[in-house]
Amino acid sequence: MNTKEIIKSSFRIQRRNKMRTFFMILGIIIGITSLSFTITIGAGFQNRMTQLVKKYFGPNDLLIRAEKLKLDGKPTQNDLVSSLTLDDVKAISTSIPGIKMIDPGQFIYNQEVIAGNKNASTIIKGTSAIGQYVWNRTVASGEYFNAAEELNMSRVAVLGPHIAETLFGKVNPVGAQIRINNIPFIIKGVLDQKGSDPHGNDLDMDIIIPITTLMKRVMNVQYILEAKIVVDDEKHIDEVAASVSNILDSRHHLSINGSKDYSIVTPTFVKEKIKEMSKVFNVFLPLISLIALLAAAIVIIVLTLMAVNERMSEIGLRKAVGARSKDILMQFLLEVSATALLGGIIGTLLGLAGFKVFGIFMMVPFFIPWQIYVFGVILPVLIGITAGIIPARKAAKFDPVVALR
Amino acid sequence: MIQLRNLSKTYSNNSQKPVYAVKNANLVINKGEFVAIVGPSGSGKSTLMNILGMIDRPSEGEYYFDNRDINDLSEDDLAGIRNKKIGFVFQRFHLLPKTTAVENVELPLLYSDKKHIRALALEALDSVGLSDRATHRANELSGGQQQRVAIARALVNNPDLIFADEPTGNLDYQSGQEIIKIFQKLNASGKTIILITHDMSVAACANRTISIKDGILSENKIEETSKI
Repeated sequence: MNTKEIIKSSFRIQRRNKMRTFFMILGIIIGITSLSFTITIGAGFQNRMTQLVKKYFGPNDLLIRAEKLKLDGKPTQNDLVSSLTLDDVKAISTSIPGIKMIDPGQFIYNQEVIAGNKNASTIIKGTSAIGQYVWNRTVASGEYFNAAEELNMSRVAVLGPHIAETLFGKVNPVGAQIRINNIPFIIKGVLDQKGSDPHGNDLDMDIIIPITTLMKRVMNVQYILEAKIVVDDEKHIDEVAASVSNILDSRHHLSINGSKDYSIVTPTFVKEKIKEMSKVFNVFLPLISLIALLAAAIVIIVLTLMAVNERMSEIGLRKAVGARSKDILMQFLLEVSATALLGGIIGTLLGLAGFKVFGIFMMVPFFIPWQIYVFGVILPVLIGITAGIIPARKAAKFDPVVALR
Repeated sequence: MIQLRNLSKTYSNNSQKPVYAVKNANLVINKGEFVAIVGPSGSGKSTLMNILGMIDRPSEGEYYFDNRDINDLSEDDLAGIRNKKIGFVFQRFHLLPKTTAVENVELPLLYSDKKHIRALALEALDSVGLSDRATHRANELSGGQQQRVAIARALVNNPDLIFADEPTGNLDYQSGQEIIKIFQKLNASGKTIILITHDMSVAACANRTISIKDGILSENKIEETSKI
């Protein structure tokens, strides 16, 4: 049997029935377009989140937060508890081996800042002198504040590049003065550009001052909001997290299984959270596309059954000239699955095009996730074969005597 | 080549009595013969052709093709014999529309293991004088041309036996004569030809005429002598 030639002649027939072929694959095109679009968008979103988080939160990092864990929204000052202190940080850093650095953090959101005749509202962050290393901030001009300034509660500040530009324009602000809460601060440095954190906050709007200054002089509080730990080795991360938990439980008089007034963010946890957030793209939207494909399969069955009836005399003729039942079965299965594959390829290309356009707005870089090959190529063929089997078997069973009449 | 022994084909209506389309047929057709089977419509001649052509199976009796009892053969075996040994020409041509002449002629070769099928198809088209129409679509050809394409298709796999069921039935006189001439030429080249018709003048071109009426065969020797 000349399989190749039968396939070629099948294609010719499909080509010459453009309308039917088009409607047959329309459902597949729609289903696969939306499927490949959501898959790529989902994978792109997940990639972007992972990249964002990586910039902000490395595989060696742990974050202790003085609150019940909230990663999927901006923490507000109302949600916070006031039980985490600098003494906790000191206790952790002295009693747990494997900690490379620890940096306490405290913030004020939307604080008005005045520089000369200009003002702006932005976030004031307090860190220790090593905060720049812990948070991977590099200084573009001037310098970060030092340990002595942290100890002395000095009124010094480093500015993110955007807030520096907002307040000082193109002028280098190092040495200039700003007022926070009516307290004058000398600008020691301007940071390099950093971009956004995973919550979408512009880190380049940060004004960073010594945490001691922020707590005592600006806010007059005894507690901190968070502390970031950098572990010496990725392998120790779970160990360190467990030890931190033990120390905080005992210092805050908490039972091991009771509710906590802190949470520890680990890299694993962040990954899980990103996966969960991507679920809408990776699970729910593809599920809807699959329903569309189910409808497409039904359309294929109906149209192919019609085609089989229309082509009764062709089938009879093929049998008369020597086609066996299984040749006819094969021909129809091939026709239907090749048509479905065509729809799948068109749909995939449309979906990818959609992703390319939409990705620009979402700031997701274009790439082709491996799932595309599975869903864009294998799935349509499977649908074609499954939907084609009923009509194909009907065609194969035609009695040539009846079919030729 | 063909031998029928007490072969019958019945159709069962809902009534008690089965209807005979072919009844107790006994027939021997030898290689190289040109046989016309003549009968009015409804006489059972198409049923007989379908059985002889192995598209249909008899209800009773035996049919030996090349000394093999077709009752012993599977559907796939029969498909193989139809493909290799038999060519069909139908009254209504049964060409694939929207498909070129040469592609139509290739059709039997798709189910064979022959190579270079395009060349074989063109050769067959050439033998019926249609090589200049090879790339025309079937529906663009005249009736006579379509029937010649159908003959080329019947020939392409070089079968021993060709069935023609009212091959001139849908053609004007002139085209019909051309078709008849082709069959005579084929017979002269050694092919066995079985022509089914209701038209005695068409049947006259055969060397032997078998009449069928109400499913019963009878061989009319007088026809043959009168032809000479």
